[in-house]
Parts: sequence; structure tokens; C-alpha cells
Amino acid sequence: MAGAKNHDYHILEPDIWPFVGSMSALIFTTGMVMYMHADEAAFPEGLWRIILGLGIAGLIATFFGWFSKVVNEAQRGDHTPVVQLHMRYGMILFIASEVMFFVGWFWSWFDFALFPAPLEMVAEGTWQNVIGQEGAATLANFPPDGIEVLDAFDLPLLNTLILLCSGTTVTWAHHCLINGDRDGLKKGLWLTIGLGILFSAIQAYEYAAAPFGFGGNNYSSAFYMATGFHGFHVIVGTIFLIVCLRRTYLGHFTPRQHFGFEAAAWYWHFVDVVWLFLFIAVYVWGGWGAEVH
Amino acid sequence: MATTAEGFDAHHEEHAAHDHADHKPSFFSRWFMSTNHKDIGTLYLIFAIIAGVIGGVISGLMRAELGSPGLQVMGGVVNFLGGDGASFDQQGHMWNVLITAHGLIMVFFMVMPAMIGGFGNWFVPLMIGAPDMAFPRMNNISFWLTVAGFFSLLFSLFVPGGTGLGAGTGWTVYAPLSTTGSVGPAVDFAIFSLHLAGAGSILGATNFITTIFNMRAPGMTLHKMPLFVWSVLVTAFLLLLALPVLAAAITMLLTDRNFGTTFFDPAGGGDPVLYQHLFWFFGHPEVYIMILPGFGMISQIVATFSRKPVFGYLGMAYAMVAIGVVGFIVWAHHMYTVGLDVNTKMYFTAATMVIAVPTGIKIFSWIATMWGGSLEFKSPMVWALGFIFLFTVGGVTGVVLANGGIDDNLHDTYYVVAHFHYVLSMGAVFSLFAGFYYWFPKMSGRWHSEFLSHVHFWIFFVGVNMIFFPMHFLGLQGMARRYPDYTPAFTYWNEIATYGYMVMGVSMIVFFVNIGYALVAGKRAPGNYWGEGATTLEWSLSSPPPFHQFETLPVIEDHHSADDHISEKPATA
Amino acid sequence: MESIDAMNFGAIARKKLNLLTLLVVAAMAMVALPVGSFAQEDGGVSLDEGSVAEPLETTVTEAEAAGFDYYGPEMIKGQPVSSDEDFWGSMTFQDQYTETGEYALWMHDAILLPIIVAISIFVLFLLLWVVFRYNKRSNTVPSKTSHNTVIEVIWTVIPVLILVVIAVPSISLLAEQYKSPPEDAITIKANGYQWYWGYEYLDNGGFEVISNMMPESDALDEGLPPQLAVDNRMVVPVGVPIRLQTFGADVIHSFGIPSLWFKLDAVPGRINEKMLTIDEPGIYYGQCMELCGARHGYMPIAIEARPLEEYNAWVQSQPGGMTRAQIEAEEAAAAAPAPAEDTTEVEGVRPPVSSELDAPIAGEAPTEDTSPTT
Ligand code: HEA
Ligand code: HEA
Ligand code: CUA
Ligand SMILES: [Cu+2]
Repeated sequence: MAGAKNHDYHILEPDIWPFVGSMSALIFTTGMVMYMHADEAAFPEGLWRIILGLGIAGLIATFFGWFSKVVNEAQRGDHTPVVQLHMRYGMILFIASEVMFFVGWFWSWFDFALFPAPLEMVAEGTWQNVIGQEGAATLANFPPDGIEVLDAFDLPLLNTLILLCSGTTVTWAHHCLINGDRDGLKKGLWLTIGLGILFSAIQAYEYAAAPFGFGGNNYSSAFYMATGFHGFHVIVGTIFLIVCLRRTYLGHFTPRQHFGFEAAAWYWHFVDVVWLFLFIAVYVWGGWGAEVH
Repeated sequence: MATTAEGFDAHHEEHAAHDHADHKPSFFSRWFMSTNHKDIGTLYLIFAIIAGVIGGVISGLMRAELGSPGLQVMGGVVNFLGGDGASFDQQGHMWNVLITAHGLIMVFFMVMPAMIGGFGNWFVPLMIGAPDMAFPRMNNISFWLTVAGFFSLLFSLFVPGGTGLGAGTGWTVYAPLSTTGSVGPAVDFAIFSLHLAGAGSILGATNFITTIFNMRAPGMTLHKMPLFVWSVLVTAFLLLLALPVLAAAITMLLTDRNFGTTFFDPAGGGDPVLYQHLFWFFGHPEVYIMILPGFGMISQIVATFSRKPVFGYLGMAYAMVAIGVVGFIVWAHHMYTVGLDVNTKMYFTAATMVIAVPTGIKIFSWIATMWGGSLEFKSPMVWALGFIFLFTVGGVTGVVLANGGIDDNLHDTYYVVAHFHYVLSMGAVFSLFAGFYYWFPKMSGRWHSEFLSHVHFWIFFVGVNMIFFPMHFLGLQGMARRYPDYTPAFTYWNEIATYGYMVMGVSMIVFFVNIGYALVAGKRAPGNYWGEGATTLEWSLSSPPPFHQFETLPVIEDHHSADDHISEKPATA
Repeated sequence: MESIDAMNFGAIARKKLNLLTLLVVAAMAMVALPVGSFAQEDGGVSLDEGSVAEPLETTVTEAEAAGFDYYGPEMIKGQPVSSDEDFWGSMTFQDQYTETGEYALWMHDAILLPIIVAISIFVLFLLLWVVFRYNKRSNTVPSKTSHNTVIEVIWTVIPVLILVVIAVPSISLLAEQYKSPPEDAITIKANGYQWYWGYEYLDNGGFEVISNMMPESDALDEGLPPQLAVDNRMVVPVGVPIRLQTFGADVIHSFGIPSLWFKLDAVPGRINEKMLTIDEPGIYYGQCMELCGARHGYMPIAIEARPLEEYNAWVQSQPGGMTRAQIEAEEAAAAAPAPAEDTTEVEGVRPPVSSELDAPIAGEAPTEDTSPTT
């Protein structure tokens, strides 16, 4: 018959979610701008709440609707081996781009740490009319004088262990899945998710109790943005795993086909590795020699 | 290059198309919910043309302003956009807003969508014998995120951005002008515009890489892939690895502006030069993102109209890979005057010049492809010839700028503006028009007028050279970039440039008349309308191709010698 | 009606001509807009209407009161030439008045320009050759050659050699430009402000000269080039190495003078430094070369290079201005009688660093490049 497809690729029906998703993204960013300028009367007062809320709602709906579709398609058997291969490539490439995103944050971190303000000049007094002059001398070191850093071998070390642990539990879950042990799969996932949430909780506690604020100097800026984006990725990864857990209860995944699970696991390992770099570069090395809180 | 399809019945496909026409989605779902690579490619092309016209009109305002010394046009623009009695500062600011919008629109919303989104979407699947892209749904969000980004940029024009309305930071958005130097929401809108468009491009890049790696027709090895596909593959990798760094950099701008971080604020130990490193780490690969797909198209076209296989296919493919790789380690040649130390400058001087070698390989291989060929000067070929020459002119001035010591005088002068318009407004845009005339009948099923296409070429050629060649002189004489006004000594060459713009504008009218004519009254185009020189798989399909092509995958014949990867048998239409 | 292919966007355009009309109108606008706006030449605001920032303290009067005569227009050396005066001259670099400038100019004119012109013409020639020799009529049967290792090696190796020819002088040019200033160089710091320059004479008492663009009418009255002329020039000694520092007070500016082959960004949070030695007395014009906001186009630089004695005379005419000799005398006087009080200073052989804008004398600031980052 004409029009019968004789290949294993995935030809999709038209779908509204991409359009909804990108318009939601636009609404979201617009709402963000309004929120950031809420006090400047550039926009009607309070409007940002509506716009921002709408954008976030649209984005959440998109993620939900879109990924539900993908799951349904997977269940329907649309994901032939070659389509699964696509997804593997897609996920690896996506993670590669995420790695480059973190390169940006590490770049700024190392710039500040290795080349703090023109120090000799600050010390010599040549460094006179820097904006915010009084503070100049404190910036001659990294971390800047007066900043008490978090003790790397306290909660951060614990968090490192937690994440490493969660890396093993997710692998455990994977092995159970491959060997048809649904029960072990559930346990492994529960544990991983639990560890993920624990990590986030500890991180939140540490932020709340940190001896330095968010902005104001290079150390805290780079610290919070790098660890914060990592934290955000942990949360995303956790949600991803929760979805997998839910799907496990729904009876999804077979020992041979479970890319949704694998993607979540890859992502989780990626988040794990980023943390190791953060731990070494930011917490241990970056805080070296500074006063510990 | 490669590839004759065996056991593949084009007629069968053509009938299939008519059957499918019945299943054609309704207007809304076809154009807003598309999961079809050809429709999405069409959307991208239409979008790019609209953006190109907007960017082109803006550059017209700029040329009008620079037509003579003094401020004459900016006041009117400010008033037009909703001010009145524009102050001196508002006029100066408006200039900065216009060049920013012009640069961003041309780069992110004209060249990139046209080359990668438009031609890439249309022809990568066709050339590798695939029915669609690997992620058809994600393909669509790539497009709509680009549109969202464009809207965000347009929003920025109407909100305060410091000295006036709009973001006046230059397309490079350097801190601290873009942070403490521009209060108001405009710059935030511009930043988000880049976030949105960038996200779309990253998703698009994963889609292209996956498609090219996984969906090649049976028998089509990487080394049999048409060069256009190679070029898109390399480009996609550049996008994938460069854009996230930009995303991080502009996120830092955003938090510096709004949440009190001090990445680029020296008062908090930040460093404005850090932003430049991050930006150009993205920015230099970006310029190759804008030209590599053009290289790919030129290779297809030159081979087709020489009726000869591409010369040195492997060298051509790996030259692009080399350009892509080296492109990541030369970024600081944009920063020669920020106070780099001498060793850094020497390194970047040497590394930058290295890129001339693989680029030279491409230029000479194109010429060698034509050498001994039987050349036919159809419109795409004429644009391709123009491309090769003008890109060379732009490239060699790049080599001048690459010298750190020489760039001390030329940096931020019109010499740089001349350089990059030769590689962009002539390099990239010539390849776009070449590709457009090459494939327009394939995409629309209708013939454009070859005569008008040639007219377009010649007027455009004269126009853009008139605009941009004098800029070399202005730059050597020291005329600074991003100035709305100049000392009277610069008048003469600026006038010529402005007249050149008008010449160029006439040619664009010819272009649109030509498209209009083709769409309304153009002759029907057969499947392979360029004849035996056109050997890639898209020519084995009808024009336009069926809604879903290659429902039975074409099989690429195996050649006897591994060396001879180029099919000599013409494809049948 | 003929059947319409699914992919035929032509069909859609024919049904809905809106898009097409839009594009055509836009194309016409591309021509019409600039042509139209070109006509209304006198619509704009000109600088004469007092729109430039009020100049801060002017020092002209004081200097002139002290009997100092500034150069007139006849001393202008570094400025763009108009093509009416010198057609060919308007197409190339300005004349150079520093040693590095002359070297760089030589490198451009004798090496780079001939090479790039030759390459472009060579490529053009090859293109024309294939066009005439291998067109369909002249060569009906295309060859099938797709490889020739020898030629491929040649066109890889020759460009490499050309690049080496470029790289050698290029590297020595860089080395030349980065020579560190001698101990006794005179330090002058150029501060970029939105939107004017301030020149701080760190070795001459630390006074700062504020320099604004001169309104167009004033410039024309005095016979100076509009948009380049300033109220207070940056006076510097001729033939003496100057340690020129740049600093951005708000956003990034860039201190660029084409005829001295000098350009150095003025970046907030760092002091950039480079040596400048001007060969001839005269006036040299430059401009801000980094986008810095609304009046980026209106913060020119004018350097007045004078023989050392005249420079010293000018320095003394400035409020708080002291020549090197005066400072040394003063220091000797301060150091000699009171050794007991101020031991640290004597040990450190370092002048007192006071809170305000005066800075250490020459030799104290780091000599090489001062940039902290990569
Ligand atoms: C399509 C885009 C594109 C391309 C392809 C290039 C290609 C090159 N560019 Fe360009 N460039 C830009 C777009 C591009 N550039 C833009 C947009 C800017 C300004 C950004 C801004 O500040 O806003 C810029 C700025 C820019 C600068 C900074 C100038 C300054 O701000 O001071 C420099 C300096 O090194 C540079 C160098 C080069 C070089 C060496 C190449 C090389 O790749 C060129 C190689 C090609 C050839 C050399 C010709 C063909 C070769 C032969 C025929 C072989 C024989 C040749 C030799 C042996 C020399 N470019
Ligand atoms: C691809 C990039 C691109 C293109 C095509 C152009 C095209 C033009 N540009 Fe510009 N330009 C930039 C990128 C580009 N520019 C950038 C990055 C800057 C720096 C901004 C900054 O400083 O921050 C700049 C800056 C710049 C300046 C300097 C401003 C200043 O420093 O003060 C000037 C001055 O004349 C100028 C003029 C022009 C003119 C007259 C054209 C004309 O050639 C325009 C004519 C229009 C076209 C040629 C486009 C037609 C194309 C289509 C309609 C789409 C076709 C699509 C398909 C076929 C699918 N541009
Ligand atoms: Cu100051 Cu530009
Ligand atoms: Cu570059």
C-alpha cells in the first residue's frame, strides 16, 4: 500500500506541546523580567505574578504532557531499537551540553581563585580608585578576607558520601531491573530518591546556615551559582527518578527495554560527577587556607 | 556526493505523495504543531527571511545615519518608537540599540535559522535517505523557541534600557555596560532572548547529530555522506559545545544585574574581562557556525554545476572538522586590547592564523573541483563563485586582524566591520542565496526565473562591495565602530557605502519579485532539474518531495574501491 | 484545479498572498526607508545645543594664565585625512609617529597587504580561469579527477609557509610593543568616564586633567577637526618613554590613537599599562574605542606632545603640578631631617602612600603587564 512505512523510525503525529512549551518559556522569561523590575514601575504593578505563574504553569504542563506522550509511545511499542538508540544519543549529547554549561561556572570559579583582584597593586596602594574602594583590599585574597568558608570535611563530605552512595543504589536498581527483580528495582529506586532528597535537604540547610550571603563578592557569587545550579540538577534528577519509580509501579520497563530508567541513571551519574568536581574544586581546594566557619 | 539509490522507485514515492495529501494536517496543525522536517524547514526559512528583512531595514537606517556626519536619522527613529523630542543621549542610545538589534537579528535570527534550521532541516534527512529527523517533536520546539527568542528581543525595544528605550550593549553584551551600565528591563529581555534561542539551538544540535549518526540509509557510511551533511554535523557539535558556555555567561549577567552577584563587578572582586573570555569562547565558534553550512552548500553546488565529483572529498570533510576544533582555541583574538600579556597574545596570534590552512584547503579544493569540469553558470553557481572570491577577501583580512600587534590599531575600527561583513554579509549570505536558488524549485515545486536570479546576483554583488569595501579604508584611517557620527574627514567613503546600500536594496526587490513570481506563476520543476551533475539523494525525489519520503529506505550501492566514494552514475529522477 | 502537493508552500502563498505582500513591502521598505530619511538632513539635534556634559574645572585658563601656549591647528599630526585632500592617503593607515607604529606600518604595508592582495588576486585569477577555460562550451566532457595528493600537499604546505613569513615579524612586533618601560618613565593614567577622559599625572603631583569634546562650532572656529577636538588636551613629553596606564571608572572604554599605533582598553577593576614614546611634537587625535553607552562616539582623545622642558612648564602651570625634579627635592628635604619618626618609609624606600589620589613615583608600579587574569 502506498504510504505504508517500511522502516523502524518514529514518524510522529503533529503535536501542540512544542508550541505551548516555547510560548510558555517566553511567558516565563517575560514574567521573570517583570519580577526583576517589579519595583521600577516599568510594568503594571503585580502583573508579574500572573505572567510568571502562567509561564511556570505552562512549562510544567508541557513537561508533563510531553513526557506522558513519550511514555505512552514507549508503552505502545513505538520505540523500536533504532529509536531507542536515538534516545541514547540524544541523552548523551544533552549531558555533554550540560557539562559545557558547568564549564562556564567552573571557569569563573577558577578565574577568581587563581587570579584574584590585582593584588600586589592593592597591597601597594596603587589600587586606589577602584569602585567600592574600601572593600578593595579584602579582595586581595581568595576567598576574600573576612569570608568564613564552610568546612569541606563536615557536611559537604557527608553529601559527597550520600551522592556516591546514591550512585551505587541506582546501579543496584538497574541490575535488579535487568535481572527481573522488580522488588529490588523498587527498593533501589526508593533508596536513591531518598538519598537525593537527603542531599538536597542538607544542601538547603547549609545554604540557610552559611556564614556568607548570596551576592556582594566573587566568592559567594561563584559558590552559590555553581553549587546552586548543581542543586537544581539534583532536584531535576530526583524528579526524573520519581517518575521512574512511578512507572515501575505501573509495571513499565522490561529487562530488555527501559531507556527511561537508564536516562535517569545516566543523568544521576552526571550530577554525581559534577558534585565530585565541585567538592574538590570549590569546597576543598577553593576554601583552602581560609577561615573555616 | 555519494549515493545513487538502488532498488528505489521514485515513481512509487510520487504516487504515495498524492495519497498522503489526503492525510495532510489542517492548516493549524500543519504549521503550528509540525513534526515534519520539511515543514519545519520551511517555517525556519520564512522566519529567517522575515528576520533578514527586519535586520536589513535596520542596517538601512544605520547606513542612512552614517551617510553624512552629524545626527540626522536617530531622532526620527526615537520618535517613531514612541518618544518625542529625542534628547541627544537618547539618539546616541538609539544608535547602540539599532546596531545591537542588527547584529543579534542577523546572527541569531537570520543566518543560523536559515542555514541550520532551514536548509539543514530540509536537506539533511533527504541527503542521508532518512524519512525525517530523529526527534521530530523536538525539532518543532527548536523552531518555536527561536521565534520566542525573537519576540523577547523585540520586546526589549520598547522598555527602558538605560539612556533610552532598548538594549544598547552591542551584540557582544559586554559587562559592565550591560550590567551596571544599563538599568531597566531591556537588557534582561535581550539576555532572555539569547537564552531562548540558544536553548532551541542546543536541542536542534542534538537532533542533527543523532539524525546524522543514526539515520543514514543503509550503505551510506560517514565517508560517503554529502559534504553538506558533514558541514551540518560539525556545526551541530560547535553549537552543542559552545552555546552552553554562552548560556552560563549571560546567566551571570542576569544575576549580576538583578540578584547582587559580582561576577563582572570589580567592586566585589569580579572581572569584566571574564565575561569577554566566556563570550568569545562561544563567539568564535559561533562565527564558524555561521559559515560551515555555507561551505557545505557551496560544495554541493560547485560539484553539481561542474558535473564532477568534489575534489578531495576527505580533505574537505576533515578541513571542516579541523576548523571546528581549532575554532575552540582561538577566542582571545577578539580581546587583543584588553590587556592580555604578551605570551597569551603570541599564542592566540599563532593559533588563529592556523585556521587559514584548512580554509585554504577548502577554497582550493572548490577550484580544483571546477578544474577540468564542464561548468554551467546557473544562478546557484554564480552565487557560489561570488562566495568563493568574496569569502577569500574576508578571510585574508581576518588573517591581518589575527596579528595581535596589527590588531592593536585595527581593533574596533571599521576594518573589523569590513572583515566580518565580507565573511558574513557576503560569505554567509551569498551561500544562503546560492542554496536558495539551488533548492527553491525542489522545495516549492516551482521554478524561479533564472534571469531575475542573475540580475539579483549582479546588483547585489555591486551593492555589497560598494557598502563594505570602503569600510576597509575607513578602518585603516581609524574610524571607530559603533559610532553614529564621525569627523568630516570620513565622509567620502561613508557616502559611498550608503549609496551601495541603496544599490543592494534594489537587488532585494528583485529577489522578492522573483520569489513572488515563482510561487504564483513559476513553471513546475521536475525531480532532478539540474541534470546529471546533481547526484545526491534529494534529486531522486519529486519536487517537492512527498510529505513523507523514503518510506522504503534507499540503499546506497557499494563501491569497489574505498577511495572512490563518489558516485559517478547520475541519479534518476 | 490542479492537485496540490502536500509540500507545496507555493500553493499556500498563492491562496494567501498576505505573506508575499508583506515580504515585498518589506523589501521596498529596505530601499525606501534609508532614502527617505537621508533627505531630512537637518532634523537632528546637534552638539552645539549644549548637550555635552558641562566640562568640569577647566585648566586652560590657569595654564594660559601661567603663560603656556597650546599648539594651534598647524601642529596637528595624527588625524584622519579627508579624501578631498589626499585620495590615496584616505585609504590607508594614518602616518605613524612612534617606533612600534612605524614597524607595524611596515609590517602591514610590506608584508601583510601584498600577501593578502596577492592571495585574493590569485584566487580571483583561478576562478576566472576555470570560468573561461572549463565552461560548458569550452569543455564539454568533464574530467573525473577527484584526487591528486601532490597538489593537496602543495596547497597545504604553501599557506603554512606564508603564515610563517607573517608570524615571524608579527611575533617580534608583539615583543616590541611589550617592552617594559624604563624605571624613569613618566607615568600618566588615562581614566575613562562616561563620557569623557581624565588624565592623571601620577609622577607630577597627581593632578587630573578632565577632557571633554569641544562643541562642533567651537572646534570649527578654532580650525580644529570637529568630533576630535577637545577642551583640554592630554599634554605629554615628546621622545620620553611614557608609562601609559588606562582605567575604566564606570564601564569599559578604550584609549585608542591611530597615529601612535596605540590602543588599550580602560577596564574597571584593573589598570592596564603600556609604554608609549612619541617621536615628534604635535597633536594626535584618537577616540574611545570600546562601546561605552550613549556618548561613546563623543569622547575623543587629543594628545599634545611637547619637548620635555615645555612639558615641565605645562606641569607647573597645573594646580598641584610638580616636575620630577621638584618632587625629588621635596622628598629629599622630607626624608633628611626626620629619620627618627618615619623609619618604615626609609626602610621600604617607598614614598608614603596617602589616602587620596597621589600614587607612588615611577618604578613602583609593576612594570610588565599588569593584568591579573589570563
Ligand atoms: C562567518 C564568520 C566569520 C569567519 C568565517 C571569520 C573568519 C576569520 N576571522 Fe573573523 N570575525 C567575525 C566573523 C568571522 N570571521 C566577526 C563577526 C567578527 C567581529 C565580532 C565583533 O567584534 O563584533 C570577527 C572578528 C575577527 C577578529 C577580531 C578583530 C577585532 O575585533 O579586533 C579576528 C582577529 O583575529 C578575526 C580573524 C579571523 C580569521 C583569521 C578568520 C579565518 O577563519 C579566515 C580564514 C580564511 C582565509 C585566510 C581565506 C582563504 C584561504 C586561502 C585562500 C589560503 C591562503 C591564505 C593564507 C596563507 C593567508 N575575526
Ligand atoms: C550575518 C550577519 C550580518 C549581515 C548579513 C549584515 C548585513 C549588513 N550590515 Fe551588519 N553587522 C553584523 C552582522 C551582519 N550585518 C554584526 C554582528 C554587527 C556588529 C554589531 C555590533 O557592533 O554589536 C554589524 C554591524 C554593522 C555596522 C556597524 C555599526 C557600527 O559599528 O556602528 C554596519 C554599518 O554600516 C552594518 C551594516 C550592514 C549592512 C548595510 C548590511 C546589509 O548587507 C544588509 C542587507 C541585508 C541582507 C543582505 C540580508 C538579506 C537576507 C535575507 C533577506 C534572508 C535571506 C534568506 C534566505 C535566502 C533563506 N552592520
Ligand atoms: Cu568611552 Cu566608548
Ligand atoms: Cu573570532
